Amino acid sequence: MAANEHGTRAPPRETLDELLQRELFERLPFSLTVIDPELNVVRANSHFEAYFGDWRGRKCYQVYRDRRDVCSACPALLTFRDGHARVADETGRERDGRISHYVTHLAPLADRAGNVRYVVQMTRDVTETSRFQREHDILFDRVPCYITVINRNFRIIRTNEKFRDTFGRGRGGFCYQYYKRRAEPCERCPAALTFADGAEHVAEMVGVTTGGDEAWYVVTTAPLSRGRRGVEHVIEIAADVTDVKKLENEKLEAERLAAVGQTVAGLAHTIKNLLMGLEGGMYMVDTGLKRDDRGRISRGWDVLQRNFDKTTMLVREFLSFAKGRVPELTPVDPARVLRDIHDFYADTAREQGVELTVDADPGIEPLPLDPDGIEACLTNLLSNGIDAALLRERGGGKVVMRAREQDGEVSFEVEDNGVGIAPEIKHKIFTTFFTTKGGGGTGLGLLTTRKIVQEHGGEIEMESTPGEGSTFRITLYRSRLNKLAREEVRDRDGRKG
Amino acid sequence: MGNGNKTILVVDDEQDIVDYLRSLFEDNGYEVLVAWDGAEAERLTRERRPDLITLDITMPKESGVKAYKDLKRDPELGAIPILIVTGYGDPQLETFISTRRTAPPPEGYFEKPIDRDELLAKVSELIG
Repeated sequence: MAANEHGTRAPPRETLDELLQRELFERLPFSLTVIDPELNVVRANSHFEAYFGDWRGRKCYQVYRDRRDVCSACPALLTFRDGHARVADETGRERDGRISHYVTHLAPLADRAGNVRYVVQMTRDVTETSRFQREHDILFDRVPCYITVINRNFRIIRTNEKFRDTFGRGRGGFCYQYYKRRAEPCERCPAALTFADGAEHVAEMVGVTTGGDEAWYVVTTAPLSRGRRGVEHVIEIAADVTDVKKLENEKLEAERLAAVGQTVAGLAHTIKNLLMGLEGGMYMVDTGLKRDDRGRISRGWDVLQRNFDKTTMLVREFLSFAKGRVPELTPVDPARVLRDIHDFYADTAREQGVELTVDADPGIEPLPLDPDGIEACLTNLLSNGIDAALLRERGGGKVVMRAREQDGEVSFEVEDNGVGIAPEIKHKIFTTFFTTKGGGGTGLGLLTTRKIVQEHGGEIEMESTPGEGSTFRITLYRSRLNKLAREEVRDRDGRKG
Repeated sequence: MGNGNKTILVVDDEQDIVDYLRSLFEDNGYEVLVAWDGAEAERLTRERRPDLITLDITMPKESGVKAYKDLKRDPELGAIPILIVTGYGDPQLETFISTRRTAPPPEGYFEKPIDRDELLAKVSELIG
């Protein structure tokens, strides 16, 4: 042996076996104990001692669990008996009294004759991990949504508690069986999209409850795990929005009834005006006859004639408004409708000094609409826009018709740079027989437009600045239109049957 | 009729109704001014000081309600009697106008189609 610079003798160089024997036990980053068949702890590393305290002369169950008797189903005894290594999930008490969760690997130490003399226990603290796991489980089970994890065949491999409470076990079945009572995957399935592109998708789906009622879900799908074939598992989160839908429908119905009431009031108003006009005409004819004033008689007769014509127009338009036509939905190209209307009216508008343009997003897919109905709406709005633009004091009237689509919402806009609408009458324009055109209008145009839009499940709104112009916007929802179209087909088929 | 130079301002946006009221009042010896909306009604009232106003409620640009409140709250013009002549048969309108704390109630309220004799009787009662 060489002496070092201080002249003292270096200790003899140890072999790998010796090093392992001395160091390994201490260096491993988890608790190690060796126990004998009587479950006495005969060796332990300092990692263990730091966690569980003094072990000398104590049984393993005393140290690990603070128990007086051996644990039931003690895995160490099993290993002593059968010589097999095993893994056990354990809950124990640390020296500071804290409950901790750990995973213990048990390995037999057998002599050459095959007798298990000792068992080595390697224990890893998983308290943090299991806390996260518990939190995750609570979150997964208790969120107020149905959660399923599905594989590429749409087979359910995991469900949350809310799902199981409502639909039963789920696991092994298919999502479309549970949500929709279907025997095959749904059209426009958001999970299929997520499997295809790995992105998150959201869709509004109509399902069927176990009781056979209609249920509405907003379904969000996201990729969960990826493999060689791409996304292997998708998590589907379905929020039941049936109550919200019901409220929405009730609101629509209430609005419809309110509109009926306002319609009747508006009709009475218009008729009263007509009656007053007729009465004025009669007065003129009457007094003209008495005074033998032919000019007065003639003026009175004109008034009678005009109010008669107005009455005829009102009755005709009212009948068309009141007919309660069910929209007949066929796929309509929004841009095409706007172009057709433009081509029909552009020349007349130009002659009056109003420029008409169309600005439609390219690539809006056709959507199910009643072609006559939607054309009537847009023509009404256009006609109003042109009238408003004509009232500009400085000329240069313009009307733009637009079509846009975003997130399944298709909007039509008619914007004019006309006189605008005074704030105090804004709220009336859709709900009453409202006209500012004197004898030129019946006040039914916007009422009819709103009615048709509502029949399509859509909304109409208006923004206006007096002196600068107005924009009317019709918003239609692809999902609702598709549903209406499906119902229409069902009704038609039903009638055939 | 002995009402001399009394002037009535007729406020309405319907040509036929204006013609009717104009003839009716002129036939009964009144002078008639016409305004087609609330804003014009206010302007003409300030300029010409009519003896009485008949006012429609639903009109474009400025409604009759605003003109009514402006005129009734004006210390110089508030005394001019206003008869509401409207086809808007909604009783809420009357309630609205007569219960507003901000303006006194109208001198009369007539629904279209009007009772001619009743209207003339009211006008005569108010301005002779």
